[in-house]
Amino acid sequence: MKIIKSRGPEIFDIELEKDLLAKNKSLAKANRKWFDKSNILAIDIMGSIGSGKTSLIKAILKKLGMGKKVAVIAGDLTTTIDAERIEIEGARVIQVNTGKECHLDANLIRQAIKRMNLDGVKVLFIENVGNLICPGEFPLGAHKRLVVVSVTEGPYMVVKHPYIFREANTIVLNKIDLAKAMRVNPSQLERDAKKINPHVPFIKTNALSGMGISKIINALGLKT
Amino acid sequence: MHEFSISSEIVKNVLDTAEKHNGKKVLSVQLEIGELTLLNLEQVTFWIHELFKGTIAEGAKVRVKTIKARVYCKDCGYKGGIRSDQEDSYRHLIPQTCPQCNSFQIKVGKGRECILRKIQAVSK
Repeated sequence: MKIIKSRGPEIFDIELEKDLLAKNKSLAKANRKWFDKSNILAIDIMGSIGSGKTSLIKAILKKLGMGKKVAVIAGDLTTTIDAERIEIEGARVIQVNTGKECHLDANLIRQAIKRMNLDGVKVLFIENVGNLICPGEFPLGAHKRLVVVSVTEGPYMVVKHPYIFREANTIVLNKIDLAKAMRVNPSQLERDAKKINPHVPFIKTNALSGMGISKIINALGLKT
Repeated sequence: MHEFSISSEIVKNVLDTAEKHNGKKVLSVQLEIGELTLLNLEQVTFWIHELFKGTIAEGAKVRVKTIKARVYCKDCGYKGGIRSDQEDSYRHLIPQTCPQCNSFQIKVGKGRECILRKIQAVSK
């Protein structure tokens, strides 16, 4: 009798070449293409927790006065607080809650722009999750990346996070009115920033009073 | 900080791939991570091991190879690695200037990858 024995389990190798960071980059490229095709200028607003990202966006919206021609994607782990604060300024807003993620990624932006009505929108602000580390490594496809730090975070924010400041097209130092009380020297922070990113515009602001906001608008190439 | 999300993505890819190839058990996984990424290798392997628990990859070996940085200078045409004394000064391993001419006009060619290279598994 001939017995055919099934071969036992064997060990095998699967060779791959899957770059997991490249996936985000290619999605970001696709987002950029979509923004270009739709004639939308997309700006990624990054910065640490409580540095004034939302206040800055509110101040820019107020100054721009473009109403529904501006849209904002507000990113946070949870709550719709930021979206509500921005909505008051008359822009279109969508809140993206990342749950446990510390940054927005290109895929989340793709989902958000699919769900938003962006007809007639000229400028899209993307407010990233408050963090100076991870967002640097996850481009979203935005044309410009702005980083906000504030004097209340102390004098070492720039030197401690060179990666994100090198990635930035515009650096904003917010809450400048509190510099003296915080014993922070704004010129030192500017020198730190210029060392990492020599040609970047470094703008001092007070988002609550509106000081410095027109300089941001110019630096980002937004016309009032 | 984003080691958790990257590790989840790696684990999902490992399990999906093993499943697709009729794997019963995953024995080992080989990764290649660029030295210029902001990924902490210890944290990545820790999370992968944690996330493997309760799956067909529980207990699988995780090997990580580091991909050395390669930069290109637009000004002087330098192509190559970064200097070791530069490595020390880059708190987050960002090459800022060309090791040859100190220009800021440098592009990173290699060192920012996170590649899932090989999975070793036992068939059903």
